[in-house]
Amino acid sequence: MIFIPRKRLASDSALKVAEAGKNVGFILSCLGSVAGLLLSFSIFLSGQSLHLELPQTTPLGAMAFTVDQLSAFFLGTASFLGAAISLYSLGYTSEYFHKRHVGLFIFLYNTLFLTLVALLSAANFVFFLFAWEVMSFTIYFLIVFEHDDEASRRAGFLYVVMSHVGTAILTGMILVFFVQAGSFDFAALRSNAHQITPTLKSVIFLCSFIGFGVKAGIVPLHIWLPEAHPATPSNISALMSGVIIKTGIYGIVRVSFDLLGTGPMWWGILVLAVAVVSAVLGVLYALMEHDLKRLLAYHSIENIGIILMGVGAALVFNSTGNKTVAALALIAGLYHVLNHATFKGLLFLGAGSVVRATHTRNIEELGGLAKKLPYTSFFFLIGAVAISALPPLNGFISEWLTFQALLLGFTTADLTVKLAIPVTVALLALTGALAAACFVKAYGITFLGLPRSNAADKAKESPRSMLVAMGILALGCVVLGIFPGIALSALNPLSASLLGASMTNEVSLVGPTMILSASPSTSIAPALMLALLAGFAGLPIVAGILMGGKLRTRIAKTWVCGIETLRPRMQYTATGFSKPIRLIFSSIYRARHEIEISEDVSPYFKTEIRYEVTMEHIFEEKLYKPAMRGILSVARFGRRIQTGHIQSYLAYIFIVLIILLWATG
Amino acid sequence: MNDIITNALLLILQLGVTVLMAPFIFGIIKKTKARIQNRRGPSIFQPYADLTKLLKKEVVISENASWLFSFTPYLLIASTLVIVILVPTVFAPLPFHWIGDIITVAYLLALGRFFLALAGLDTASGFGGLGSSREMSIASIVEPAMMLSIFAVAVTAGSTNLSIVVRSLSTTPASIFNPSHLLAFVALFIVTIAETGRIPVDNPETHLELTMIHEAMILEYSGRYLAFIEWASQMKMVIFLSLLANLFFPIGLATVLSPAALGVSIVAFVAKMTLLAIGIALVESTNAKLRLFRVPDLLMTAFILSLLSLILYFIVGA
Amino acid sequence: MPIIDQQTLVRSVDILATGILVTAFLIISSKSLTFYVRLFAFQSILLGMLSLVIAVRYGETHILTAAVLTFVVKAFTIPLLLNKVIDRIRVRKEVDFSINITVSLIICGAIVILSNSVAQPILQVQRAGSLFTTKVLPISIAVMLIGLFVMISRKKAVTQIIGLLTMENGLFLSGLSITHGMPLIVEVGIFFDILVAALILGLFVFRINKSFETIDIAAMRSLRH
Repeated sequence: MIFIPRKRLASDSALKVAEAGKNVGFILSCLGSVAGLLLSFSIFLSGQSLHLELPQTTPLGAMAFTVDQLSAFFLGTASFLGAAISLYSLGYTSEYFHKRHVGLFIFLYNTLFLTLVALLSAANFVFFLFAWEVMSFTIYFLIVFEHDDEASRRAGFLYVVMSHVGTAILTGMILVFFVQAGSFDFAALRSNAHQITPTLKSVIFLCSFIGFGVKAGIVPLHIWLPEAHPATPSNISALMSGVIIKTGIYGIVRVSFDLLGTGPMWWGILVLAVAVVSAVLGVLYALMEHDLKRLLAYHSIENIGIILMGVGAALVFNSTGNKTVAALALIAGLYHVLNHATFKGLLFLGAGSVVRATHTRNIEELGGLAKKLPYTSFFFLIGAVAISALPPLNGFISEWLTFQALLLGFTTADLTVKLAIPVTVALLALTGALAAACFVKAYGITFLGLPRSNAADKAKESPRSMLVAMGILALGCVVLGIFPGIALSALNPLSASLLGASMTNEVSLVGPTMILSASPSTSIAPALMLALLAGFAGLPIVAGILMGGKLRTRIAKTWVCGIETLRPRMQYTATGFSKPIRLIFSSIYRARHEIEISEDVSPYFKTEIRYEVTMEHIFEEKLYKPAMRGILSVARFGRRIQTGHIQSYLAYIFIVLIILLWATG
Repeated sequence: MNDIITNALLLILQLGVTVLMAPFIFGIIKKTKARIQNRRGPSIFQPYADLTKLLKKEVVISENASWLFSFTPYLLIASTLVIVILVPTVFAPLPFHWIGDIITVAYLLALGRFFLALAGLDTASGFGGLGSSREMSIASIVEPAMMLSIFAVAVTAGSTNLSIVVRSLSTTPASIFNPSHLLAFVALFIVTIAETGRIPVDNPETHLELTMIHEAMILEYSGRYLAFIEWASQMKMVIFLSLLANLFFPIGLATVLSPAALGVSIVAFVAKMTLLAIGIALVESTNAKLRLFRVPDLLMTAFILSLLSLILYFIVGA
Repeated sequence: MPIIDQQTLVRSVDILATGILVTAFLIISSKSLTFYVRLFAFQSILLGMLSLVIAVRYGETHILTAAVLTFVVKAFTIPLLLNKVIDRIRVRKEVDFSINITVSLIICGAIVILSNSVAQPILQVQRAGSLFTTKVLPISIAVMLIGLFVMISRKKAVTQIIGLLTMENGLFLSGLSITHGMPLIVEVGIFFDILVAALILGLFVFRINKSFETIDIAAMRSLRH
């Protein structure tokens, strides 16, 4: 906890001096993150949780922190990403000088970290909720940081509304908890949880799932997410996608595993269903998106879905009594939390670097950046390979574990589970494949080919601090991928503490590099796989030389059917690239397209073609718009009592007082 | 020491069988198709000659291409070879079977495809983009069907590791080919046709922009790089055919190391591969290429069948 | 000593039944009328082989007759007839679906699962009698329902016939699975019934095509007036 005061100091000083302040602010937050990382490492190594109680007690309970293994894991994830992002921000925010209030930005940035740490280490719900609210507001201010942009303000408003609906539900949950178990303290709740009736347990679970789900961005509560992520500065987007939305996952895991204990099976089935829908819809909408940051935001929804597949499967298996498989599933989900933080952080930072260099997020205007931004493009490629779950990087490992957990759960006797699991497996595979298609589009159109606009043509590589930050995360993707044993051996005692069972009965680790799954007798060795990939790449070189001598190459123009020069506009566009998928899944997209063709002398000579596609987002059309209309009409009704005369308001107070007195007396 | 030598020999055998047999399978398919069309057709060893010729030719690289363009052929060969050492052909378990399972195989295929699709976009050619887009769209439905159909067999054996699955199937003949396997077999056959770019999904011999998929994506490749890519896709065919052969009919497969068992296994393998190749050629000759947007319906069938096979296995138990 | 032992019987019956299910799915996934006919013929061959296996196993002549009739009528005559119809009317593609193929496939997948749960209670009662029904009965119910679904979701009259015939195949299969087939006279009756039905429907298709210049049965709604 040492670094909290330091951060405050950083923020204060940053308000005074601009450039130096910026550096001090971000370097200190970077150091703070490193300290957080060390803290979470020490907790994992010692196996002891850290407990801290401040002397001031509030009427609602003590200001107490407990960092147990679950907190430490999320804290470690946040710190790792935080360190890289702070480093990145050094270079990234330099363009804000003379344009925006950098000091304010640094203040908000560090406040966000502070509340995050408070949230993850809070030992009671009052303090937790307080941190949660402050965090929500800080995010709101960061979303509207570029407030002269209409879209940012709208996104901010949407976020505030959604976030408060979530908080309201969470408050309800906490009150139910309090009434039933008589305390706000996690420790007390944990020991009193068995007194709660099953119905109320389910109410608590549902409230926590919805309330935390808003923050996590599960479908259908996701609508704020694709608006908010592109509106914020890229370093904040990375932080939001990598860490903030994971606080929702933290909450769900904390409440449903740690506090409530074992629940009925339908909890898990519900989570699985939501997870599957989130994953598939997330990636499908991402495919249609040509705003680089919105595309990544939709992928966050997808990955939350994948994480929740693990969590949901863990809930299911926990209730059916397969504790060890449940442990494996939970670990798969949590490992994906870490992995997603790493590669999505990397991708958002890469996107930030692209936006900084070209001032556009629209990938239809980009292209050819692999030559202009060689490092950014390389790191982005690593992120793209990782998020597409391709071996041997980290996304693959967590998806592999999820697959294994689901396949091991086949032994469950229940019919619902037997139906739910194959469908989940199928859709997880579909999600992975669609994600790969999406990132071929995102990377290929943005970084390959010819530049499609002047801005892309003139792009310059980002400053070194940004590149180093991306490099750290890219290295993280590789290391977490080929040495999964490191993180998994830390996660194993965590699951043991939550579920009372360890995954080693199902999957055992052989050294840091190899995962061996015991019962289905299968294994992977990602490090060896990488070595073999490198080794086998040498074979064609040797074979080529043996059979045809030295490789001779010639540089020539790309073949364009005999037209003299290839112009950038002749390339495939992102819209064109994703069109087959739009047609395949047309019943989900409900796309409407308009074509306007202006002709010159004859139909064969067209002067201009305009093509526009609009997608209908089912939940916005069918859920939110009717809900909004309902609320508005209620509000219109309510307006009748708003007379504007002070006498009538006093009369209201009077009436209410009389009623209250009558009711109590 | 003895162990190391046996394992090394087995590895070489496994790699050798696939790498060397790959062009031969293509030769058989071409020959059969020609025969059905009443032509004599090229010799079944023609693909070897094509490959050696291409290996000797110079590579023309587009001026717009980045390093990815030259990197992709090597990566493609490497990822295919890693798959090769995981998919049993004539002997199970393979020496390095523990480095990955069927999920790894599916995702390694995806890795190669991912980079190939990027290379298609790399040269800024419209054809490349077109091919990449179609390939990735089709692959996104094919991949789940492929994994599910293999899972349906894998759960029978209680493992996702291909060597262990094949070995356990071939030692317990009673578990070979039950009804849920039939569904999975049909699904995997459709998947094979789609993944290897055959009629009715794709036509490997066309270069017409309206219809080509895979060929459009690699249109800018030439010379030695093209040889690598062709060879990799031929190996991919062998990989899929040996999955079909050994997961559903692991008859004759060697599970103990003896010259006799290996000899029988090699003969059985070549026979099974030839039969399957002729099967592919028959399908190609009796069907017309589907319109691009009719392909998803076919693949969806494979997807649903494989899903059903998995569900049926768990509900009915076979 | 029977020629085929029980285990082989169960095995081959199961596999043939699954094959019939696969052909039903391929019908759903396709658009070409000629392909429908080919698939139906193949389906009938599988059904014939299945009844042949049962006939040989139990030495029951009436099933043997039914098997032969299946080959002659369903696998040969009706496809021939339908192909002629298709040739004459020059309509080869099913277009304009009321439910698209992907959704149809998903619905049919659900049908299979449903039929399985529907069949379970029947099997509980039946298990004592026959051994090979555990998979065949659910499959036969599924095939019947898929046939009905084909009739609901497709619009061309030829496809309607295919749907009807698929239903009939499902019915025959369920009869076989539960009672070793219905009495011969009923079987023969049904065979001639569907042959006549196919003939009449085929004729209808001609007439419909002539009068409405389409075989889209939606056009027949104009008959209301």
